[in-house]
Amino acid sequence: MIDKLKEISKDQLLAEVKKYADSKAKFVTGSCNDLGDRLEVTYFFNASPGMDMSALRFTVGKGEEVPSMTGIYLTAVLIENEMKELFGLKVKDLAIDFGGHMMLAQDSPVLPMLKSEDQKAAAQKGGN
Amino acid sequence: MAPRTITPFGPQHPVLPEPIQLKLTLEDEKVVDVMPAIGYGHRGIEKACELNEYPKNIYLCERICGICSCIHGITYCEVVESLWPMDIPPRAKYLRTIFSEMSRTHSHLLWLGLLADAFGFESMFMQYWRIREKVLDLLELTAGHRVTQSVSIIGGVRRDIDADMKKHCIEVLKDVRKEVEALSNVLVNDYTVKARTIGKGVLSYDQAIALGCCGPHLRASGVKEDCRMQGYLAYGDLSFEPVVASGGDSYSRAAVRIGETIQAIDLQLEALGKMPEGEIAAKVKGNPPANEATMRVEQPRGEVFYYAKGNGTRNLERLRVRTPTYANIPSLLVMLPGCEMADVPIIVLSIDPCISCTER
Amino acid sequence: MGIIATSRLKSPWIMHFDNSSCNGCDIEVLACLTPLYDIERFGIVNMGNPKHTDVLVVTGPVNRRTARVLKNLYDQIADPKMVIAVGTCSISGGVFHNCYNVLGGVDKVIPVDVYIPGCAARPEAIIDGVVMALQKLAKLQGVAL
Repeated sequence: MIDKLKEISKDQLLAEVKKYADSKAKFVTGSCNDLGDRLEVTYFFNASPGMDMSALRFTVGKGEEVPSMTGIYLTAVLIENEMKELFGLKVKDLAIDFGGHMMLAQDSPVLPMLKSEDQKAAAQKGGN
Repeated sequence: MAPRTITPFGPQHPVLPEPIQLKLTLEDEKVVDVMPAIGYGHRGIEKACELNEYPKNIYLCERICGICSCIHGITYCEVVESLWPMDIPPRAKYLRTIFSEMSRTHSHLLWLGLLADAFGFESMFMQYWRIREKVLDLLELTAGHRVTQSVSIIGGVRRDIDADMKKHCIEVLKDVRKEVEALSNVLVNDYTVKARTIGKGVLSYDQAIALGCCGPHLRASGVKEDCRMQGYLAYGDLSFEPVVASGGDSYSRAAVRIGETIQAIDLQLEALGKMPEGEIAAKVKGNPPANEATMRVEQPRGEVFYYAKGNGTRNLERLRVRTPTYANIPSLLVMLPGCEMADVPIIVLSIDPCISCTER
Repeated sequence: MGIIATSRLKSPWIMHFDNSSCNGCDIEVLACLTPLYDIERFGIVNMGNPKHTDVLVVTGPVNRRTARVLKNLYDQIADPKMVIAVGTCSISGGVFHNCYNVLGGVDKVIPVDVYIPGCAARPEAIIDGVVMALQKLAKLQGVAL
């Protein structure tokens, strides 16, 4: 369970992030997860100063475009580039676009973080 | 306007033991723009963590970074334990605290040495590393290895500190504390050190929060924020108060780290004294249920954030690791423009960059 | 042979290159240079320039981006040269064997003379490995160490 998790849609993202920015919260990080035909994105924020953390979550279909929050939090530039590169999340209007080669080299596997068929099968089979 | 040149800084640079490249745009000697190029240390650990079984991931997570390895292992165990959630014995909590603080001491001493080396103070570099060897000996004695300890397991810890070890640790730690204080006096008061660090790489309170910085880097800008304030492990029982400075420059960052080194030794001494008797590991059966958990732990370099999602099988569904340097790198985009080329190594070093952490 | 070959053995200059290691071996290589282990008593000096180097010390597994950099550095070093692979992951990929961006051990890219196992390799083992490399170099040059 994640405390203070708020489910939103991708269109609400920028408005919600703006609220955090206005209250001087700190951006912690984001996380992406492959749900099969959709991608789940979670962003974590911290009410600074202090240790109070809350999160925003939305899911999008693979291939759908997602707005970038780098206009509000510049520091999100690394994680958004990473999600774009490793999961194929289509983030538009990135402040700095590394063009898919921030982490990966020219001959690295493409979209390596997506789940392979073996992995899906193992997950469906359940525990051993 | 002077003509602009773009100079690469790294990936092979004497001040950086690790590969990272900064593309600096210079106007004569003045930096006007900076663009980091990372990816030299990317291995793909997050994916491999989904392929390995739970206990094996401890070893992999510890090798995200060799300097803060002990705390990476502890954080991974903590986040997996909170998937159930399960409790670990109080003695194990204290032992994890002691091992964490020991590795913080060695990491900060390492950084202070590297800082001295960055402005050419080689004898001080050697002195700090000489002191650090004593801490490494303690880690080897108690946790079993100098660098990658793998001391934490799911449910507790693998090794106990017995009475003889405890006595020896207390003696050595007191000795180390005296030496660090004496040596750091030089670093804090030396004219040259001040001239090289005061006012270099300034980051204000608001900027530090807006850029999402963490750790000593954030606290040097006056923000009182430290994960240990949450009271995880045994920190709730210990007299812990974050070390904060207000200058926001490289000098303040060094001062915060010196304060934290001394504080880490004090915390170890206190924890060794208060440690309760009992079991050091709880029995663990089966796989964690399908659940999500997050864990935030203070590493030497700042806050490390673990997000884990289990699916009831013997593999993790997803593990996300946000390491402190990942949060601190964007601040270079603000700190470097306007400085002189010769100050770039000190400013880059002042965030205590750990590249293998960042890229996993 | 004479003085050049002898001097090379009495004061070999090393260069350290970090592929994509976890830093554990890197800080142990650095620890070798500091007072407790003091590798400088063998005349060994750490260099930043490949053209000044006799011995290349490599840590960490080769990943897809550093493979090219490593090859490039190796080609720049003048003959005779020695390569030392420090740590288990630089030998075989070690704990990172199933990471997607890792190619494997250093010998996938360049020839290696001495392998030093350990995770992280201990400073004593690193010093031992450097001395072994020197013995090999002495044999190669036909002079006594």
